[in-house]
Amino acid sequence: MRLPLLALLAKEPAHGYELKQALEQTFGAAYPQPNIGQVYVTLGRLEKNGLIKGQDVDQSNRPNKRVYEITDAGREELAAWFAEPTEGPRVRDEFFMKLVLAPGAGGSDRLALINTQRRHYLNVMRGLSRLAAQDRDNRAAQLLIEGAMLHLQADLDWLERCQEELD
Amino acid sequence: MRALLRWVRADLRAHRGQATLMVLVTAVIAVSLILANALLQDAANPWQRIFLQSRGAHVWIHMRPGADTAPLSRLDGVTGVAGPYRTAPADLVRGTEKVGLELRAAGAEPPSVARPLVRSGRWLDPARPDSIVLEGSLAHAMRVGVGNTVTVHGRDGATRPMRVLGIADSADQGSYPDWTPGLGWVLPSALDRVVPEPVHTQQVIGLRLRDPGAADFTAQQVVTTLGSGQVTQVTTWQQVRSAMGQDNRLLGLLLGVFGLVALVAAALAMAGAAGSRVLVQVRDIAVLKTIGFTPAQVVRLFLYEHTALALAGMVLGAGAASLFGPLLPGALGEAMGLWQAEPAHAGALAATGAGVVLSIALATVLPAWRAGRIPAAPTVRANHPASGISRLARLALLLKLPPALALGSRAAFHRPLRAGLTVARLAIPIMMITVALGSWATLDGFQDHPRQLGLAASLTARPSGMGDAEARRLLTRQPEVAAAYPGVETPALVPGETTTITVRALGTADHPYPFALAAGHLIRDEDEAVAGQGALDLLHARVGEWVRVMAGGTPHILHIVGRDIEPDHNGEMLSVELGALAGPGGPPKTQYDALVLRPGADPKAVRADLIAASHGRLDVRSVANPADRLGMVRVVVVGLVGVLTLIGLAELVTATASGLRDHIRDLGVLRAMGLTPRQVTAIIVTSTGLLAMVAVLVGTGLGVLLSDRLINMEGQASGVGAGIARMPAPETLLLAGAVAVAVAACVSVVPATRATRARITTVLSASRT
Amino acid sequence: MNRSGPDTAGAAATAHPDHVLPPAEAMLWARDLVKVHHGAETATHAVRHVDLRVDRGEFVAIMGPSGAGKSTLLHLLGGLDRPDSGRIWLDGQRVDGLTEARWSLLRRRTVGIVFQFFNLVTNMTAADNVELPALLAGMSPKQARTRREELFAELDLDDRAGSTPAALSGGEQQRVALARALVNEPGLLLADEPTGNLDSRNTRDVLRLLARYHARGQTILLVTHDARVASSADRVISLYDGEIADDSALHAPSASPTTVADVLRLKG
Repeated sequence: MRLPLLALLAKEPAHGYELKQALEQTFGAAYPQPNIGQVYVTLGRLEKNGLIKGQDVDQSNRPNKRVYEITDAGREELAAWFAEPTEGPRVRDEFFMKLVLAPGAGGSDRLALINTQRRHYLNVMRGLSRLAAQDRDNRAAQLLIEGAMLHLQADLDWLERCQEELD
Repeated sequence: MRALLRWVRADLRAHRGQATLMVLVTAVIAVSLILANALLQDAANPWQRIFLQSRGAHVWIHMRPGADTAPLSRLDGVTGVAGPYRTAPADLVRGTEKVGLELRAAGAEPPSVARPLVRSGRWLDPARPDSIVLEGSLAHAMRVGVGNTVTVHGRDGATRPMRVLGIADSADQGSYPDWTPGLGWVLPSALDRVVPEPVHTQQVIGLRLRDPGAADFTAQQVVTTLGSGQVTQVTTWQQVRSAMGQDNRLLGLLLGVFGLVALVAAALAMAGAAGSRVLVQVRDIAVLKTIGFTPAQVVRLFLYEHTALALAGMVLGAGAASLFGPLLPGALGEAMGLWQAEPAHAGALAATGAGVVLSIALATVLPAWRAGRIPAAPTVRANHPASGISRLARLALLLKLPPALALGSRAAFHRPLRAGLTVARLAIPIMMITVALGSWATLDGFQDHPRQLGLAASLTARPSGMGDAEARRLLTRQPEVAAAYPGVETPALVPGETTTITVRALGTADHPYPFALAAGHLIRDEDEAVAGQGALDLLHARVGEWVRVMAGGTPHILHIVGRDIEPDHNGEMLSVELGALAGPGGPPKTQYDALVLRPGADPKAVRADLIAASHGRLDVRSVANPADRLGMVRVVVVGLVGVLTLIGLAELVTATASGLRDHIRDLGVLRAMGLTPRQVTAIIVTSTGLLAMVAVLVGTGLGVLLSDRLINMEGQASGVGAGIARMPAPETLLLAGAVAVAVAACVSVVPATRATRARITTVLSASRT
Repeated sequence: MNRSGPDTAGAAATAHPDHVLPPAEAMLWARDLVKVHHGAETATHAVRHVDLRVDRGEFVAIMGPSGAGKSTLLHLLGGLDRPDSGRIWLDGQRVDGLTEARWSLLRRRTVGIVFQFFNLVTNMTAADNVELPALLAGMSPKQARTRREELFAELDLDDRAGSTPAALSGGEQQRVALARALVNEPGLLLADEPTGNLDSRNTRDVLRLLARYHARGQTILLVTHDARVASSADRVISLYDGEIADDSALHAPSASPTTVADVLRLKG
């Protein structure tokens, strides 16, 4: 969560709770709910590394809040993050292990393995579809769900390739 | 049904241009059929024109002199009366000939009903009491012209020379000699001088009717009114018309053949158009089936739509022809006007229209049926395996021809069935054009080589006021006359038949006349004869058989040794040599000499020379050539060739379009491979050109065969006899073929360039489905 | 291989092939369908011995790679193509032996079909395209118009009634095609790659519409190679090389919230 928080702070200074809300708003249902405690822990770590600096602001009849601001070191770190390409998710290694090893182990039928896996993917796909239907207005969320679906589609296509190899 | 209508409506709206075009084509075909019909009717049926222009009478009644004719004009349905005229039988004598004549006493002013139409000269004039106006066919048969003098013999002995003041056409009776006696008009005073005894005269009256169909009924009423004792003869217009029409069977047949050709062509054009529409709409038809159209409904869809279009076109065409036809300039307009006045024309119009619609509907059945068979599954189509290069293309490659030719021939023929269909569709109009050209060539044959078509002699000469020997000397002195054959014509009775044929003695055994023989050999003996087809039909005889005829009261037994081409008298002519008709007093006195001119001689000039040399004592006439009468046919042939060319063009456009559709993807691939757009255009043009070339070869070949058969069949049926057909000249055919191929190539250039201009990617992706 | 599908009547069918009756709840029941495409030199076994049952109100997707025989199977079930052997019951009626004309009559009322390439009649307006099958089925022009207007209002096509297909976007065309397929309230809706030619937004729209009609009880059989589309069905049949490789009912979405969250967990 480090770098997304840094990116949000690069836009404008904010305190922890504001950051949590911004995350939720930006990613919507597509992103697992951020824990507020985790946000504060991460902010503390970032401040310790000198990437952000905090400043307490007094509030009447409430406890003080700490507003964070990005530092030059933080901007550099962020720039480096944006500059470097991102490693994509890799093939499900575990299923592949099962598929390759199943015949020797005298265990499961390989077609059954593939079918089970396919059912699983289809169910996940269905879940994603429902999710997408719930949160139709958040474009970031839609993009993320679509990305996940395309990965699933690729996994399903790969299953078909595996099935071809069975013959 | 509602769904069908909905689709048809939408389809017509979406393809307004195409639908309009189809309607227009149908209309043009209907118009040309109607015009051709009118034209040929007019040419084939002179009675119609004369009857109309002369306001002819529908019923003619001959009766005894004292009969009271007043009640006749009051008969129901009578709108006008001609006469009553006094008439008397007489004989018309000219030289050695004597024929029966009905003299009719007419006033100085021609009557308004059944008015004789003065063709040359002028009408009777009280200032010239001893003059006569002769009916045209009689004057023609007697070779009498305006200004000649004839002798009229009354039955009670009076003889008067009369000067021919005019020649007039009349629809009062049939043409001489099919209808006897002939007709002549004189002033009442002249009639009194020729036939002084009133007891030898009769009265004749013509009734013009409101309803021509009531002529028979009126005739009956006349007999009842006057009493059968008073009436000597009743004639109706139908009798007159059929008597006049007989001489023109050839024209009538041509009418039929051309009508048929035009109909077939029309049907083909429409079938082609319908077929290409089905091809374009394969996908939509499949969709219609998926949403619940049954195959039968799809068939009906196309059938109804095209029949409706044909019906619209027919109504438009018939309406236009009826409204504007009579306004056309020249013979066309006149013929239309005359035709419309004919009582049967509504029926003929309806029949023509029904024929057009029916033939188009029938021709649409095949494409409609194909539409019904289109499978419902929309995109499934077995991929054609990339067919190997056709043999022709391989040959082209072997010969190291340019790529356009090699690939073009592959494109043209790589689907043999499709190519065969295209060739067939193109070949049919070409075949019919060849037939039309054949008719033209036959007419040319009559005009340019009359000798081969039974018209060896182009002039006849008969002495009038000079001795035979002197006439003979005059003729032999004339350098342009190659030969003169003395001739006699006499009617002869065929035993067991009511009709007569003409026996013509022409030439002698030593000096035989050059008959145009289609079979057998020339006359070599006194009892040998050659016959025209009409005579053979009448005698139920064949070449080689013996026949018996009665001529001049004597029986003659003749051996038919040949069949000649006989354009005159519907071929009902039996020709012998002069000795055959010899009586006890030696050979018969010759009536005329048939003059065969030297090649290249101008008959008109020779005629003028001869008349001048004889100081007018030699009557020289041109021999009528059927080609002159068939002049109308040329107009029709030109029109037909025009219509057929249009049809051919339409077929060509369809063929190019569907060819392009088939190959559009290949062409894209070719361009992707690096052929220039120009080369691709060349491939398309070559492919169309090759198809057109094959079609020209096939069509011309079939056309030549068909034209020969068809024209000879017409010749045979018309009595002239088979053997008149002439091929179009090879250079004409070559030129026509070359033009056809060139036009085909040109026509395909436009869609080809358009296709090659399309972006490669569009072409490649558009044909994905 | 799981060829029998969800029904258990296979044994009975083999015992009395001609006297077997379809289960009452089956909208579509196919037994032992075989279809071979004959090419010039090779024969392709497009559908091999397929048994299939779709109950009333079910939403079934047939999924498989291209060339697996999905579309052929759909064409066989819609009567657009004939099987080489096998039997089909539609709404309790045996239909595999019907003539083409009888199939056409049947399709008017019982089967609506949607295609990948929309396949609207090109020279008719959107409204005419929809009203045509209604008229065919015997509705009066007025009834057909009313019914069409209802559908257009629901599918958001009100202002498109007078347009020709060429003037419509792909999504609009497919919605018109859907309206056409549904205008006679058919017992069975067949969809052949209905989203194959649409972008993802229009795909979502069409899927939502299918889901809506399914929720109202429409039986749907859909063919697709797209897992996203297939996952909108209740049941997915995997077709592989002309044979059914798998047939599985999908879970209700609530059954797998953690998995979904897991898939979506952003690394960062």
